[in-house]
Amino acid sequence: MPMKRSPEVRPKPADALVALAVLALAAALALSAWGGGRSGGLTAVISVNGQVTETVNLSRLSGPEVRELNANGYTLHVRLSSDGAEVIDSTCPNQVCVHTGHISRAGQSIVCLPARISVTLSGGAENGVDAVLG
Amino acid sequence: MRRFFAAALCAVLACGLTACGQGGEQSADFYAMDTTMNVTAYGKGAKNAVGEAQTEVDRLESLLSRTRTDSVVSRLNAGTGDRAVGMEVWGLLSAAEKYSIATNGAFDITIAPVVSAWGFTTDHYQVPDQSELDELLANVGSVHIHLGEESIVTLDDGTQIDLGGIAKGYASDCVEAILAKDGVESAKVALGGNIYVRGSKPDGTAWRVGVQDPENSDGFVGILSLTDAFAVTSGGYQRYFEQNGKRYHHIIDPATGYPAESGLTSVTVVAPGNEEGTISDPGHGTMCDAFSTALFVMGEEKAVEFWRSGAYSFQMVLVTQDGRVLVTDGLKDKFEQEDGSGYAYETISRSPS
Repeated sequence: MPMKRSPEVRPKPADALVALAVLALAAALALSAWGGGRSGGLTAVISVNGQVTETVNLSRLSGPEVRELNANGYTLHVRLSSDGAEVIDSTCPNQVCVHTGHISRAGQSIVCLPARISVTLSGGAENGVDAVLG
Repeated sequence: MRRFFAAALCAVLACGLTACGQGGEQSADFYAMDTTMNVTAYGKGAKNAVGEAQTEVDRLESLLSRTRTDSVVSRLNAGTGDRAVGMEVWGLLSAAEKYSIATNGAFDITIAPVVSAWGFTTDHYQVPDQSELDELLANVGSVHIHLGEESIVTLDDGTQIDLGGIAKGYASDCVEAILAKDGVESAKVALGGNIYVRGSKPDGTAWRVGVQDPENSDGFVGILSLTDAFAVTSGGYQRYFEQNGKRYHHIIDPATGYPAESGLTSVTVVAPGNEEGTISDPGHGTMCDAFSTALFVMGEEKAVEFWRSGAYSFQMVLVTQDGRVLVTDGLKDKFEQEDGSGYAYETISRSPS
């Protein structure tokens, strides 16, 4: 004997919207769990006086690029490449930014205190850290 | 009705997802105490705590700076004005004296004029004459600071203090107290090289804190997995100058007046978070800051002996010039060696092996 379908469970257009919403939410949760918030590549965040002035996805660079950064009377040349960043020269008096050398892992940063310029790496491979001592 | 319920459920979940992913994080980057700082907190109380932390660091800088002429420390150094420095500064000076005595003078806040003679406070570097160093060293030592009653402090003539060696550590103690007061359970605080991590990360895992390789800017000597801990590193590999082919770094040995040549290239000191700190009490953050400098000056043998004495509760990572990384056994399960670093790793236990 054929079962009579209840009109209450028959799909309606609005049900499809709810189903879509649930699917979209599931996808968002999955992306979140898998680290979908990451940029997908190593990124350099350049800040001047505490304000972010440029964010560069290093993994998308076709080759090394040199940025000239000027702040507080000092000039820095920063080389950005797909594997990291370094300050190649600076007019600042203490040269700590130059001495820091090349950085390549998420969590590392180069800071020039006299110029108040910083370059911080994020994203990239899973060998990054939340903070750096040193 | 059921459709409405399902849609509402989706909305609630979506809100929750947003909170976990971004909305629950509050972060501030700022310059203070001659360094860059970041305070990042998560969840309940985070917004208030991050704002209060920045205000607190600014307040401390106005008290403790040696370069701001209106600070308590500057007035004390100038020998002018009221010598009643207030209980907070008095307490910090008292802690500094304690750490100086404990380390046999390897940590000393009266080394300030010698550091200035080398130009590290002005960025005009020079190698001072020995006669100048001898004259300045005569006024170095905790015996030249007199802590009286009712927060009165007197310095001997010619003695100057610089709290730069513990101010950031003390600030991290104060920020910890603010985070606790505001009910924050997960946070990361980086005051220059002074790190404090509160609780675990929002995903429940420990914070991964890299210890910089002094010989390779791209690498770490290892990664510490920390929860509720302070950690500070001292090393001479970034702040230095060269003259006649010789490198001079900024960590001055109070015994010689010259940059410490102890055979260590980096010292990291780790200690647990304070149990119930109050804002004006120097705690483990202050201690880590003082000891990282002191142990760098002391060198491997004395540092290990000091740690083994058990007089203070802390753990450490020493990096030596001859390519070894020494990790105290309290960090054994928290320290991940760096593959391919080229270092030989050793664990130090309380009893000599």
